[in-house]
Amino acid sequence: MTTTETTEAPPAWNKPPPNIDKDSREFWDGLARHELLLWTCHTCGAQYWPKAYCIKHENEPWAANLSWQPSSGRGKLFAYNVHHWAFHPGFKDEVPYYYALVELDEGPLISATMVGRPPAAGDVGKAVRIAYEDHPEGFTIPHFEFVGD
Amino acid sequence: MGSTQPDLAVAGLGVVAGPQADRSQRMMAAEAARLAIADAGLNISDIDGAVDLRRTGGGGDRGSYSDAFTRVLGLPANFYFVIGRGGALAGLGIAAAASFLQRGLAKHVVLVGAVDDWSKSQETKKHGHRGMAHAEKEGYWGKALGDLRAASHHSWMAARHMAVYGTTSEQLGAISVQQRAWACLNPEAKMYGRPITIEDHQNSPWVVEPYHLFDISQVSDGAIAFVLTTRERARDLAKPAVDILGQGFGEVAADLWWEKKNFQQMAVHNAKKQALAESGLGLQDIDVAELYDCFTAEVLFQLEDYGWCEKGDGGAFVEAGNIGPGGSIPTNTGGGLLSCYHLGDLTGFAEAVRQVRGEAGERQVANCEVALSTGHGGELVSPGMCSIHTTTLLGKAA
Ligand SMILES: [Zn+2]
Repeated sequence: MTTTETTEAPPAWNKPPPNIDKDSREFWDGLARHELLLWTCHTCGAQYWPKAYCIKHENEPWAANLSWQPSSGRGKLFAYNVHHWAFHPGFKDEVPYYYALVELDEGPLISATMVGRPPAAGDVGKAVRIAYEDHPEGFTIPHFEFVGD
Repeated sequence: MGSTQPDLAVAGLGVVAGPQADRSQRMMAAEAARLAIADAGLNISDIDGAVDLRRTGGGGDRGSYSDAFTRVLGLPANFYFVIGRGGALAGLGIAAAASFLQRGLAKHVVLVGAVDDWSKSQETKKHGHRGMAHAEKEGYWGKALGDLRAASHHSWMAARHMAVYGTTSEQLGAISVQQRAWACLNPEAKMYGRPITIEDHQNSPWVVEPYHLFDISQVSDGAIAFVLTTRERARDLAKPAVDILGQGFGEVAADLWWEKKNFQQMAVHNAKKQALAESGLGLQDIDVAELYDCFTAEVLFQLEDYGWCEKGDGGAFVEAGNIGPGGSIPTNTGGGLLSCYHLGDLTGFAEAVRQVRGEAGERQVANCEVALSTGHGGELVSPGMCSIHTTTLLGKAA
């Protein structure tokens, strides 16, 4: 699982499906293109995740002054936990897994599991970047990995 | 009574506790309501308003029911509606019922919350899942990634506090141990008769690290009901009246979300300010604190946020034994969600009523005049998760 290609097809999806709704469809389409999109204000440049009206000033109807734009896909580890229990049978073979809250360089917080080196005490604040896991079912699951170690 | 205090009092309390494997939520709700009405010395025919406290608006939706306890119990209420947001139930219910009482639209309102999480969890276990399974809800982000239970994201609060302030797992364990000590004085508590040590806490299995099993609240069945009326009416009824002294409300979205502080504190600031102002009281007047404790870190945050210690000093404060029996601020005196049972903020609310009435048996805090009860809950869209905080101050009627 890296930012480039997956070499072999992952097994059939046996976990809860991604919760893709009318507000998040474009975001998930971005992940499938290996782009981490942020909801971006064209009036002032503020960026959000998930979708919202800009809090800094008046908005156009339906928040039309914002749209999904690619981000750097980079940020810092804000907090993480270690799941020792598989609450759903689809995660039985993955525990322990590391679920991270990441503060993106653009500002918003977003969460995903870590791949590569697992985080340890003292890693909060270290640089991470997004990694993509494509699935034949037509969606891409995001992860984060440490940069430069 | 300060002139700004609301004209409200709790006149009756009904509690259904413990596993209820063969009982429906609506029957539990109806039974708790029946008990509360009887406790007040009222008849069914005296009840003219009803409020159903449900944990909607949380992450996934909770198993609910399509029925009204008013129908089940045959209550002649002129209105019945549902209110609640995650574990924030009693505080919101009181604020809503108050308008009916104060405008003369009702004389006695019964408010009830019921849960069957324990029974449901026994069912989901058979299908290979662990803990409470929630139905899917629009906007829930992380399920496909493994964000499956409250512990999946709530544990970031503990993790962040640890990273920023150096709080330790043993310090969180001190909360668990002291609340367990309270539970061992409460025969109604799930963990009655089962004291624990810090070592037991440390040896309990990791569930979602940094949370051990003993950092996590109970999964429960049960129902709690109370009768709310005006102060004057409450004084003529069977039990000692418990006045609502003040209330306040706070929202993460208002002051914490954008500053990313809601993983180190809760939306206490405004809620506390409003409640103390309405009641005319100060922090030093509070004799017992029933703090919403879905996990240990929520207790730690609130001890700091209310001001019993400085932000970041919560670990040392609980380590010194301040919240257990004999401590400087007796906290979650029935055992709380961690060691008694989890009926949202109704667990602490019922305990606050009992402490103020002097009905808390072996765990009764001497000269308890004022009790604090808090609520917490909401959506699980990080970073705005669980954004509501409610503050309710209860006190002995003068
Ligand atoms: Zn803007």
